[in-house]
Order: sequence, then C-alpha cells, then structure tokens
Amino acid sequence: MRKYILTIGLLLPTLLFGQIDRSIRPAAAPAPTINIEDSKVFTLDNGITVILSENHKIPRVSFNLVMGSSPMLGRERAGLDVIAGSLIMSGTDERSKDDIDSEIDYIGASLSADENSIYLSCLTKHMEKGLTIMSDVMNNANFPLDEVDRILRQNESSLLSTKSDPSAMAANAEAAATFPKGHPYGEVMTPESLKKIDRESIVEYYNKMFTAQGSYLVVVGDINLEDTKAAVEKYFASWAGGEAEKVEWGTGKMNQGNRVVFVKKVGAVQSVINVSFAMNLKPGHKDYLKVNVLNSILGAGGFASRLMQNLREDKAYTYGCYSRARITNDGSWLSAGGNFRNEVTDSAITQILYEIDGIIEDYVTAEELSLMKASMSGSFARSLERPTTVARFALNIIKNDLPKDYYQKYLKELDAITVEDILEVAQKYFTAKKCNIIVVGNEIVLESLLKFDADGEIELMDAYGNQVKETILSDLSADEILTNYVAAITNNLSAKKLRKKLKKIKSMKEVQELTMSQIPFPLKATRIWMAPNMQGEKTEGQGMVFNKSYFDGKTGGSESQGNKEVLTDEEISAKLKTTGLIPEMNYSTSGMKYEVKGIERFDGKDCYVLKIDDGKSISFDYFEKETFMKIGSIAIETNGEETQEINQSFSDFETTEGILFPTTFTLSVGEMVFNGKLLSRELNGDVSLDGYK
Amino acid sequence: MKKILVSGILASIAFSGSAQREIEYVEYDLDNGIHVILHEEHATPIVAVSVMYHVGSKNENPNKTGFAHFFEHLLFEGSANIERGEYSELVEKNGGALNANTSQDRTYYYEILPSNQLELGLWLESERLLHANVDNIGIETQRKVVKEEKRQRVDNQPYASFISEMFKRMFKEHPYNWVPIGSMEHLDAAVESDYVSFYRTFYVPSNATLSIAGDINIAQTKAWIDKYFGSIPKGQAINMFRDFENMAATEFVSKYDVDPSMYDAKDFLNPKDKKAKSVLKKHMNSEIIIPRPEKTKERPNGVVTDIIYDNIQLPGLFMAYRFPHETHKDMYALEMMNDVLSGGASSRINKSLVEKQQIAQFAFSFAYGLEDAGVGIFAAIAAQDNSLDVIQEAFDAQIDEIKYELISQEEFEKIQNQYENSFISTNSTIAGIAESLANNHVYNGGASKINTELANYMSVTREDIQRVAKKYLTQDSRIILHYLPKEEGNSEE
Repeated sequence: MRKYILTIGLLLPTLLFGQIDRSIRPAAAPAPTINIEDSKVFTLDNGITVILSENHKIPRVSFNLVMGSSPMLGRERAGLDVIAGSLIMSGTDERSKDDIDSEIDYIGASLSADENSIYLSCLTKHMEKGLTIMSDVMNNANFPLDEVDRILRQNESSLLSTKSDPSAMAANAEAAATFPKGHPYGEVMTPESLKKIDRESIVEYYNKMFTAQGSYLVVVGDINLEDTKAAVEKYFASWAGGEAEKVEWGTGKMNQGNRVVFVKKVGAVQSVINVSFAMNLKPGHKDYLKVNVLNSILGAGGFASRLMQNLREDKAYTYGCYSRARITNDGSWLSAGGNFRNEVTDSAITQILYEIDGIIEDYVTAEELSLMKASMSGSFARSLERPTTVARFALNIIKNDLPKDYYQKYLKELDAITVEDILEVAQKYFTAKKCNIIVVGNEIVLESLLKFDADGEIELMDAYGNQVKETILSDLSADEILTNYVAAITNNLSAKKLRKKLKKIKSMKEVQELTMSQIPFPLKATRIWMAPNMQGEKTEGQGMVFNKSYFDGKTGGSESQGNKEVLTDEEISAKLKTTGLIPEMNYSTSGMKYEVKGIERFDGKDCYVLKIDDGKSISFDYFEKETFMKIGSIAIETNGEETQEINQSFSDFETTEGILFPTTFTLSVGEMVFNGKLLSRELNGDVSLDGYK
Repeated sequence: MKKILVSGILASIAFSGSAQREIEYVEYDLDNGIHVILHEEHATPIVAVSVMYHVGSKNENPNKTGFAHFFEHLLFEGSANIERGEYSELVEKNGGALNANTSQDRTYYYEILPSNQLELGLWLESERLLHANVDNIGIETQRKVVKEEKRQRVDNQPYASFISEMFKRMFKEHPYNWVPIGSMEHLDAAVESDYVSFYRTFYVPSNATLSIAGDINIAQTKAWIDKYFGSIPKGQAINMFRDFENMAATEFVSKYDVDPSMYDAKDFLNPKDKKAKSVLKKHMNSEIIIPRPEKTKERPNGVVTDIIYDNIQLPGLFMAYRFPHETHKDMYALEMMNDVLSGGASSRINKSLVEKQQIAQFAFSFAYGLEDAGVGIFAAIAAQDNSLDVIQEAFDAQIDEIKYELISQEEFEKIQNQYENSFISTNSTIAGIAESLANNHVYNGGASKINTELANYMSVTREDIQRVAKKYLTQDSRIILHYLPKEEGNSEE
C-alpha cells in the first residue's frame, strides 16, 4: 500500500494540475491511418460490378452507376456526350421531367446524371422509391423533343459566350493542342458540331454508353451486403445491353520542341497563358501521388507554390498563377498559367518555363516539401467526410487496380515521399522544352511570342480550337463593300430611287423578344429611330424597365436600374456619326472612320471585315462575302483599363417597305447571351422619345 | 377515406423503420466550470474543436451594442503566445479550416483539423479563452473590418434592415430590441477598457462549452484538455491571471495585496507562498456573475403598422407574429407549420403568391426561434404593379387556411420527409455534430437532446399544426412593415 502511494507521488509532479508552458506549441501527433471499411465487391450476371462501401453513420444511402466504356469520340458531333448527359433525366415513357422532379422531392432525395453516370442519394428508408425512379431513368430515358430543343438552345447560347470568354477559349485551344484529333480529349464542341446533334444521335449515344456490361454500381452508406444484393437484384439485374467499348486512346501529343498557339482576342488588355504538356501516366501508377506533390510545389499548392511566389509575389505580373495536373486512364497532362497584362506576356512565359525547368533541374527544399505534405494531408482528410469522396475512392481502387488499402495508407505514403522522389518524377514526366504555349490575347503581343516557338511558326486557332489561316487580304475597298451592302439590302434599288424612298421614312420602331437561359422570363427590347439621328432604346420584363437610353440629336442619356447617366461630349460626338436609317450609307460624310481589315470566317462563313471607329468604341462588322449581308458585329468598348466585348449576329432577313432587315439576333456580352426574335417592325408610325428619357 | 388511412399507416411503419443513429458522447465539467462534450468517431481522420460562449447581443449593455459580434472578430487577433494574424495561418498551414459566428444568444468558434493536430486546436482555443489580445491595435483593425461587413451585408442590401426593424418593434424591453451587428457609433465610442471588461465578464470558463467531435482518443483528449483548459484559473482568478500578465507590479500589488513575483506563469495555480495561495484561492472561489436577461412575454400591443423607406425598386411586405422561445414544446409544430407554408418550391406561399397569383417576386416565411423568445416572420417582395394590400390579403388567406383547415395527409408526409431528411443531414459531419451537441447542452437542457429531437418533430400531428396556427398566428397582435422605395418620399402607399 505504501509503495503504491509512493509511485503516485513520484508521478505527481508531471501531472500536477495547472502546470504548463503555453509558449510551447503542440507538435503534430503521428499521421493517422484512415479507417475506410473494406469495400465488398460482387458481380451480377449482366456484367455490373457492384462495390459496396458500408457506412452506417447516418441512415442515408447512395447509388452511383458509372459506365464501363471509355470516353467516345463525337467526331463531327463533338460535344454529343455532354448534351446526351444533360438530357438523361428529361423524361421516361412513364414519367415526364416534372414527374421525376416532384417524386424525387417528395422523398427528399437527389438524383442526377451526366454523360456516363447516374447518381442517387436518399435516406435509406426511401431507397425503394428512389431506385424505382433511378432504374426507370436508366432503362427508359426517352429524350422528349421539346427537352432536346431546350438543351440544344441553351448550349447554343453558352457556345456564343465562349467567344468573349478568353479562359474558355484557352481551354479549347489547350485541348486541341495537347491531344490529337482522334482523341476524345482533343474534341471541342463548336456551333457547327452542335448543329449536327439531334435526338437520333443522342439516343444512339445513350444506347451505346449506358449498358450494363462492364459498368460499376458503387453503393455507399447505411445498407448491408444482404440488402444491397436484394436491391440490385430487383432494380439492376434485368438491365441488359451490349459490351462496354474499351478503347486505349493513348497519351496526348508529345512535341518535338516548344510550340506556340495563339488565339486572337480583339482588344484584350490581358493575355491568358496556358503552358501544357502531355504526361504518360495513369492514376494507378506508383508515381501518381509523387506527381501530385510535385505539381503542388510547382503551382497547385496556393500561395506557397513556386509559380505564385515568383509571378505574383515577386514580379507582380498577375493576381494568380497556378498549375493543374489532370491524370486519368484516358490521357494525362499538366497545364500552368494565368492571366497577365499585355506588356508582360512574354516575360511571364519566360518565368513559367523557368520554374518548370528549375523543378526538373534541382531538388525542391525540404521545407517546401513538408509544407505541401501538411496542407495536402489536411485537405485530403477533410474531403473524406463527404460520402461521395469515399465512393470515388472505392471506384478508383477497382478501376485503377490499386491495392485495396491504398487510401488507408495514403497519408503515410504521402509522408514518405522524399526530395529525391520529387526530382525523379519531375525529370520523368515534366518538360520545359516540349511544351504547348497557348496564348489568348491581343494581336500586339503576337510578335513577342515568336522567340518561344521551336520552328518559328506560330499556329493560330479560333475560339473552339480550330486551326485558322491568317486574315486574307480583301479584293474590295471599304467603300465598295458598303456600296454592295446597301445594294443587297435594298434589292439593288438605284441610288436616286433609294434616296427618294428614304426621305419619306421618318421613323422606325422595332420590338424584339429577348430570351436568356439565366432569366426565366422573356425580355422585351424596343428600339426607335427618328430622322435623321434620334434614337431611343429600352429593355423591359415582368413589368419592370431594366434600362433605357435616348439621343435626341443634341444630347442624351441612359438609366439603368435607377442609375442615371448623361451622355458625355465624346459620346455625343460618336452618336452624331451614326445617322440615317441605313447609317452605312453616310459613313463617308458623317466623320466615321472605317477601313477594310480583310476576309475572315464568321459563323463558318467567309466575310469581309470592316473596322469601324466612331471615336468612342471600335467595332468589327462582318459582311458575308457571297451576299454582302451584314451577319455579325464585334464591338469593343473601353472603359479606362477594362474592355468589354459585345458580340452580335444577325440572320433571317425579311423585307419591310422594300428594305431587308434581320429578324433573328444574338447578343453576347461576357457570359450573358441573349437570343432575340423580332416581334414587330413599323416604319413611319407614331413614335416619340418620351418613355426613353 | 380508406386510402388515406392505409397510406397513413404505411407512413408510420416507414417511420418506425428509420433507425436514426444514436450519437454517443461523454460529457463532464472541468473544475473551473468549462463544460466538455466529446464525441468519438473514427470514420474520418479529422476532428472538430469548438468552443461555444454563452454570450450574444442580448447580453450587451443597451448603450454598448455590437460587442458580442465584435469579439468574434477581435478574438482572431492572437494571444500572449500567438502573433497578430498568426491564428488563422497556424490552422491553415496545418491542414485545417476555421471560422466563427455570433447570434443574439451565443458566439461560436471552431476549427476542423486533421486529427493528429487535435492538441494544436486545443492550445489555440485555450489561448483564445485565457489571454487573447484585447488591445487598441486589434480594436482599431477590427472596427474597420466590422464596418465593411455591415456596409456589405446590411446597408448595401435592399430590405436587409427588416430583421432589426421588426425586432425593434417586437421587443421594447428585452435586449432582442437590437441585433448582433449592433451600433457602429457604440463601437466607435467604446474605449479599450470597455472591451477588456466585456472580455473579463463573458470570456470565462464557466461560460464556455468545449465540444469536440471526430477521430479522437477520449483518454488522451481528456489529458490534453486538462493541460490546456484545466490549467485556466477558476472564477475571478482568470482575471487575476490576466492582470498578472498585463499589469505593472505596483498596480498588481495595490489591487491584490500580494507581489506578482510570488506567482509563476507556468504554474500559476500552485504558488509556493502561503499568502499568494490564499489570495488565489479567494479569487478562485469568487464566482463571475454573468448578466442574462429573463425570458420575455412581451408581444405587440394590437396591430403595429409602419412604413420604412429603403433603397429598393419594389415594395416589400414584412409581417411578424410573436412565437414562443425556441425550446417551448409548441415550436416543433410551429416549425413544421412553417414548412407547410414555405418549405421549398412546392410550398403553399410560393405556389400561391409567386407562381399562381404572380403578385409577388419572392415570398416566404420562417420561424425564428431564440433562447428567450421567438418570432414568426412572413415576407414578400411585390411583383411590379401589385399593391402590398393585395399581398396582405393573400397572406391572410393562407393563414386562414392553415388555421381553419387540417392539412392533407400527403402534404403532411412530404413535410415529415423533408424535415427528417434535413435533420439527419445536419448530423452527417463532425462539425455539425460538435455544434449540435453544444447547442443542445446550452439551450435545450442537455446534449442528449441530439438523439431525441427528431422524434419530437415526428410526434407532431396534423392537428397540432392547426392548433399552433390558431394560437400563434394572431391577426389582432402582429407587426406589419411596408418597405417602400425611397424616391417616393411621402406618397401614398
């Protein structure tokens, strides 16, 4: 007994209550292992591999059905996979889209689909109902025509906005440059390829891609093996279908030397730079994690990354410079870059290549490595709480043939990576000499890029990654083009007769209906014109006027959501250069500056391009080479440092009082895309600027 | 009739089959009064470390509002052992994430860390409690930040003042009269000593609940909690320790009549000197009284109508009824009633006012339950050319319907399903569990309520919903605010 007390007494000083040196910061305990329950795997006769990952934490269950086929080529219908995926839940023989939505809501579940999977998540007790709907969608998706139309229209708009979105343009060019044409990752949806997509091709895609053979059903959550077997037997066993198509698509393009790809963005004040190269690496490979750490140190690890430290913190070329490694079974690549102001475009490329080169040539520091490990293990650990993460892991293990305990050992594996490992994988997979250097930007930076190109020939691409030839010289002068245009829209009326006719036209009122995918109701846009140069415009919807503007020949102003502005002298002078019902007829006398730029493609058609400058903004007008109709216009508005691009297209020309006017319009500003349809056009009606002021 | 009966039975069977997971935990009090709740689960190697302080805007002095929320900002400014700006950095570079929030009733801080960084989290939170930097440098910085926050979240947002306008009229006596963001004038006028005194009153062990959930070893966690939190002095002794660190020796002597050199910062609770020991003991036994308002019964005296001019385009209607405090048994039925009216796109208010009648751009209601009182709010932004009177009529028709007609069985089941689903989802993350355990301990009379609350909701009947609608949606006692565009000045509404 006494001895016992003594022992306690000896222990006491270290346990003495309240004793603490608070200035000593606690050190981390050893990295924990992860308790992910082993998944149970079984197969159905129809070829579905079922992976069950039990997690009874909450009474919820999810079913993720992932197809076994490799990505498919869309060929002339590039983008078919995305369109088909977004239509899977649009209805079945038994349920309309509204039915599917409301039945899912009733049980508080969520059901979604994409180009190669269908996902259900619900409380376990609603599983039967949820699976009934899920399997109906899987078996019987019937792609109603009105929904197909709706989705196609939605995509038309978003493709239009691509043209004013330099990051999307860069991503398209990166795909086209990094992967060859016959590789699914090298395909980009274009307005032309979208037009070729129809219900028939969508149904064909669905039938081919959504097949039981070779698919995976990942079940996660509060369900045991026995119940899982019963449920999949009931809802999935009868699902048939042909073989999954496995294709070895191969790696991306490996260049001989650095290759510069330029995408022109009129009026850009910043360049988007992406430096990319393909890597011959798959997720199941032992180097996978090391390459991820390497990529974090280079540019994916936030502020501490080298690209950020050099190009933002040290050189202040940019707000952010990052790298991304995408490693998949069907192709892997790295891209590094960001947005940089025009003047430093070439310097930024030099520095990005310098950082890639540096990480290939020398060891990273031990400090860099340990910092990246700490932040990667933290975010890895936190991500595990989401059941979808666990489901993804279970699938990765099967699909990539990883050891069963791969994710359990992830943190230890991460911790064991050395600076030698990093150098080894950098030398094996990275290159600073065989990169694609993609720049989306202003033409003025083009010349400075020449020095990076190994063969001295810069490739040009359009917004969708198509190779373009340089602008062809025009065979007509600016005045000849305008004369032909006026003749075309007035049915070759003689100049004299036309003047007489136009004299009688004192006013015009045009009403358009504008629709936009982000706005649930249509907008009404009204434009009036009164001879010689008075104008009014307003946009309204739901009984509200969103904006209005006017010019009365001397002065004018605008009001947008309560903000009133008066035209500046500069703006008035610009307005005065647009006069008459057909302003193009008066350019030569109104002081408008105009010149011919050459012949370029617009919406797949060869067009004469005129550069029009009214002193306030510059626009490029596209006159179709065959017909001389004006089918497009790109206007660049500058406000201090910022520029905004306004893209318009015109089509479906119809005659009013002997003059051809367009009746279908698109208008895109940044990410906003409006589709316009003419509702009415009236000449010499009773109009006034009241209501526009 | 028969069909309804059958589906009702099916629903009750389905419900009894839902095995809601029992959330296990241990709880105990430290000697200094900190309440500790530990939930161990190893599914994910992360841990949520949180401290809930039972102080919100309702504990503020009416002439010094905004303090509770201000402290939420101030207490990221570091401590005696943590440099300014280092608090967040330490968490982030160790793979963690952190945040905090403030309500009328409480202030809540938390970190989510890899589980091998639990000790770091405990050290960080104990530093915040024991001796945070409450000084002019931090106060100046955070004043600017809080003002920006108010500009962004209140002043610059149309209609955003409606909660404060409503509460101002609903509670004339109770400190729910003002909202957590408080008065910028009060914050400007306050001096360092005001802030220090707030810290010394409310940031004390007996007002703190330490709730930890995740991949922990209970024994090890308890040992670390003893080390970092157990060493925090009890009662007024915490303030004595703060003085010991901050005061000049002479000042300390004149206040405590004992020389500070008799104490050791690393072993403050165990001075060798007898006198020092007895002074410390005296202060440890001197409890800190935390001022708390009483629950209130006040309610609008009749129908209170007011007009508020705001920077808005479309008029808005805001109505408020007095609901009971959040732990009152009627709140279960009131919350479910609110789901019938406003839970999702298929709810009654949205279907009728927005989709069918199209008189409102947006319309919704919610049950705002607080520790001392509750408020039921109805709100609608008018569609162009619709008067607020039309909206008022439509709201009143909805209120009449739920008061005088029993809701359908199907609608009732949808609400039950939605309610249950969202309830269960809050317990799907360890951060959610840590917060829920702390909330239940502080307000609901025990952490154990985490396992019984859902059953309370599910025991609500359709008749209960009708009963509470009649009891609380009192047309002769409510507040009605008309929000009108500023330009229209004094024009008739």
